[in-house]
Amino acid sequence: MKKIEAIIQPHKLDAVKEALIGIGVEGITISEVRGHGRQKGHTETYRGAEYTVDLLPKVKVEIFVPDARVESIVAALSSAARSGKIGDGKIFISSIDEAVRIRNDERGEGVL
Amino acid sequence: MILNSQKRLSSAIVLVLTAGMLAVSTLPCTGQETKPDPAGVVTGDRTSAVDAGGNSFVVPDPTDKTAPDYAQKKKDSDEYKAQAAKEPLAVKLADTVGHVRVATNFAWTLNTGYLVLFMQAGFALLTCGLVRKKNAGHLMMLNFAAYVFAFLAYYAVGYAFQFGAIAVNAAPGNIGGVPTLDHFLLGKGLWGFLGGKGFFMTGPAYDASSNVLALFEVVFMETAGYIIVGSICERITFWSFLLCELFIGAILYPVFGCWVWGGGWMSQLGNTMGLGHGYVDFAGSTVVHATGGICAMALSIILGPRLGKFGPDGKPRPFPAHNLVYVVTGTFILLFGWMGFNPGSTLGATDLRISVVAINTNLAAISGSATAMLFWYWKFGKPDVTMACNGMLAGLVAITAPCAFVSPTSAFIIGILAGLVVCLGVLFNENVTKIDDPCGAISVHGFCGLLGGICLGLFADGTYGAGWNGVGAASYLGQAGKGVTGLFYGDTKQFLVQVIGASICAAWAFGATFVFFKTVNAVKSMRVSKEVEEEGLDVPEFGLGAYPEDAVHAA
Repeated sequence: MKKIEAIIQPHKLDAVKEALIGIGVEGITISEVRGHGRQKGHTETYRGAEYTVDLLPKVKVEIFVPDARVESIVAALSSAARSGKIGDGKIFISSIDEAVRIRNDERGEGVL
Repeated sequence: MILNSQKRLSSAIVLVLTAGMLAVSTLPCTGQETKPDPAGVVTGDRTSAVDAGGNSFVVPDPTDKTAPDYAQKKKDSDEYKAQAAKEPLAVKLADTVGHVRVATNFAWTLNTGYLVLFMQAGFALLTCGLVRKKNAGHLMMLNFAAYVFAFLAYYAVGYAFQFGAIAVNAAPGNIGGVPTLDHFLLGKGLWGFLGGKGFFMTGPAYDASSNVLALFEVVFMETAGYIIVGSICERITFWSFLLCELFIGAILYPVFGCWVWGGGWMSQLGNTMGLGHGYVDFAGSTVVHATGGICAMALSIILGPRLGKFGPDGKPRPFPAHNLVYVVTGTFILLFGWMGFNPGSTLGATDLRISVVAINTNLAAISGSATAMLFWYWKFGKPDVTMACNGMLAGLVAITAPCAFVSPTSAFIIGILAGLVVCLGVLFNENVTKIDDPCGAISVHGFCGLLGGICLGLFADGTYGAGWNGVGAASYLGQAGKGVTGLFYGDTKQFLVQVIGASICAAWAFGATFVFFKTVNAVKSMRVSKEVEEEGLDVPEFGLGAYPEDAVHAA
């Protein structure tokens, strides 16, 4: 089992959702987050005082998938979230030890 | 400590109110006074019947036998009496006409007053939207308590201080004249300093005509009362805020209000010193807005800036508005309410100048907002939503004094001036004076209010206000029917008295507030603790955040 964590532009969420459902991903969890990468945000003025917007709004997508499907899902996710500009985000993949369905204590890949 | 101050304050208020009411109700009624008319069955008779030009149906006997036109006036009066004796039915009809005129004006004045009352909602939304989320509940509570506590003070003494002598020099004939309020507590005749009748709105103030005035004027006072919220928010304790509201409702606003609108000495400077029509402020650029705005300035200086507002190098840091939807909605509600504020200040729909006043008010609002938007666009590359709103309010504040006396063209120009003043004022406070003004109340209401008072002295074109403040009823500047006139139309003295009047307003509002609250602050700090300010005032001061569902709660 793998966890795929993707930090994407908020306006790309719909495209990513469609792509994931399109290739048969069953479950998805998203959260609204803020952060910055190498770009470190940009400056704005409010009532004449300058300030830096360094923590930009992003969406974090978390999905848990069987090992065999990781590459195809990452490819679909990445192409759906890509605009080609700085700030498109990143995808992180990590291993998961176990999964438990709360309703009936079922375990293993069948939970996903 | 906070709890103790609250208890002390509330018991003091209850004590003062009870004692005051008892004292007033036991006052003996002296001499031959005009009887109040609580049922409204006597107010408005033939003496209230006037034509479009303000000429009365009843021609009174002239009193001044030395006047050059005494013989002519006596002849007119005798003719009227002879005619009236011949046609009693016409006189009866005139009684009805006069009553209907007063009734029409009651309806107009009350309804425009309700519009002004609704401005409270606009102010609450505007100021709440402009601050940080952690203080949103605090802002709403301040706006709410402002209405309640300032009203309390105005009810007890403020109304009597301001209008207790209005019948002496400034009887509002449109609504029946309020003849029962005719006594100055300080001063007399043309040099009145403080009204002295109508405490607790009892006795002579328990009168239909007086209560129209009271409703309309109390909502004006409220405006001054909640202007200060925009400057002192995010750091003031609740108990000291209540003290601010009592101070404004009982003393700060009514005193200056008496001088200008209650027939007091400043309104009579035309009669006493030959200064134009005396100090004129139609709907309160100075009486309401500058008084509130400059008071806010003094309070903001005493409190000091919010934590972290200015960096160690003195550079201002922004605390961006948390809800622009509230800011814009609030501003539109204020614009709507202003349609009561300015046109309503005629105290009568039978004064047909109301249409010009309404258009002037709107024109200044849009030119003020356009100027602020374009100025910010040019200077910072993007128009700032909050400054666009401040610009509209700046135009409204500045046109409030001159709205009845100027042409639509002048109103448009006054709006542009106000739009510039508010932009420069905000930048000046942020970068030079370092006075922390979260919502721009000092620039919008203080600076643009003073600008409005002065603009009247520049742009008034003489088409309206013949006989204003008892000056030039027959003719002014050699012309019959000439009204209040500014510098650009040939009356230097009106300009002079407007500059003097606006300066007195600023000096009074700043001086009285600063002395009183500097003393209060020395006894006990008016500011919340550092920890409370960092956490946000909502929970420590009121026990509940404005958006409690934002954070996950354990319970």
